[in-house]
Amino acid sequence: MKKIFFSILIGISFTSCLRLDDNLYNPNVTKITSYKLDNYTGDIDFRLDASYQIHDSLIHIFQLYSQAADESNPTKIYALYIGNTNNIATDTVIMYCHGNRDHMDFYWPRAKLLANTKNKNRFGVMMVDYRGYGLSEGAPTENGLYADVDAALKWLKNKGLTNNRLVIYGFSMGSAPATRLSSEDYSMKPSKLILEAPFASAEVMVQDASGIAMPGTFFTDLKINNAEEIKKVQQPFLWMHGESDNFININTHGAIVYGAHTGIYKEAHRIANAEHGNVPDIFGFQNYLAAVGNFITNH
Amino acid sequence: MKIYPFFLKCTFAYLFITTQFACSPIKFIKPLKKNQHGAMVSLGGPLIKYGSATIPIPFLTANYGYGIDSTLTGFASFNVTSALFGNFQMELGATKQLLKQKKYFPSISFTPVANIIFRNKDAYKLYPQIAMNAFWEYGKRKNLIYFSLDNWFEFAKKRAHEVKQTNHWIFMPTAGHIFTGKKWSFTVEAKIIAPNLSNEKLVVEYQTPLKNNGAFGIYLGCTRKF
Repeated sequence: MKKIFFSILIGISFTSCLRLDDNLYNPNVTKITSYKLDNYTGDIDFRLDASYQIHDSLIHIFQLYSQAADESNPTKIYALYIGNTNNIATDTVIMYCHGNRDHMDFYWPRAKLLANTKNKNRFGVMMVDYRGYGLSEGAPTENGLYADVDAALKWLKNKGLTNNRLVIYGFSMGSAPATRLSSEDYSMKPSKLILEAPFASAEVMVQDASGIAMPGTFFTDLKINNAEEIKKVQQPFLWMHGESDNFININTHGAIVYGAHTGIYKEAHRIANAEHGNVPDIFGFQNYLAAVGNFITNH
Repeated sequence: MKIYPFFLKCTFAYLFITTQFACSPIKFIKPLKKNQHGAMVSLGGPLIKYGSATIPIPFLTANYGYGIDSTLTGFASFNVTSALFGNFQMELGATKQLLKQKKYFPSISFTPVANIIFRNKDAYKLYPQIAMNAFWEYGKRKNLIYFSLDNWFEFAKKRAHEVKQTNHWIFMPTAGHIFTGKKWSFTVEAKIIAPNLSNEKLVVEYQTPLKNNGAFGIYLGCTRKF
């Protein structure tokens, strides 16, 4: 009887599959049936006044098909482009990779803010809802994040965008596809990388939570490792992080990523009193836009 | 601070980490009699804020002990919660009684433990622990009150990405009571986990009298002697 009991316990150890991986994704906290953008009434991080308004004719929502290398069928996802699509062949475009929460309606103020960098609509801004987010089909996966952003890059490339006019921006979880697509071979290679509140790796998440140096694989199969990935990034790099970020610690995550970049140029903005979701707000929208704009145009 | 639902979701996820690895389960404080067996199940963990409620974390261990002699009990405990994550985690240890109670002067025992966690050849750890225990028996049933100082050691010098590991000692002041029956006994235990460490910026919102340090845990145990 004892042998059976202990066999069951040991068996549980080697057959169980409780993992923390799914906790990375938090889509559709507020469910939507269509994209509302300025008319969205759900929770958002900050609101912009009328001076940041974008003309309706420059807002485009459309579908893309995304297929990861290990998938046999494409997944239908939704994308948003702010700007004149006829000018993509000559414009500079910011590919904005949003965070882990909700959908594009939640991140709309952030994308709209970026569309005001330097002058209104000086740069095009592209954003996608990763699979499982918003109206995009499927369920979120790590490879899906990369494939979905790459699908957007393919669309931009088909519209005439070239690598030297592509800037990629990753916020929070979006730092993973932004860093990966800057370092590995995908449809396009961004010329600049911007990360806001990036995390270093899943292992740091585990070690921060436990306070001790345990292997991350005890709890997660996630391979995301921005701190290693960024070592391969040679492009100019801008980092912003709230000093009061209670979720992704500036010292154990952001500073590690920043320190690991050995490319041609890098720039850091540690924002006092800013938390995870309000760096642009606490930084000051105009200061934020100046930092992003100067980085894009000067480096 | 705006509480992201993600934070709440992660709370449950990450509390498992802290629960399993920074919070030892109930141990044998007083050795069993010679050749006596004891099987214990314990449940509990740190109190955290979840929404508007304060809840203890469900942390389940199964523990088996054997009285090698009347002052020394060897035991092995199996971490069921850890097993659900696919990790084999076992504590191997012994409780040795050093002094017997003399009126108000308590019995003293100590408990060295090897906490072994194994997932695969690339992911395994061994954490040494040692607890010093003081206990008093009272009444007809010989119920037992105890205080314990449990110490957990992390010897790794580096964390991920070659960052220096600064926490090498986690200690847990503990108080408990054992209601003793002929065959069964029941334990209630409270402990302050890692009062020397900050609990800020850890995602999990611990409920502790020390505010920004450590966590406060409550555990229940049930032991069958045979």
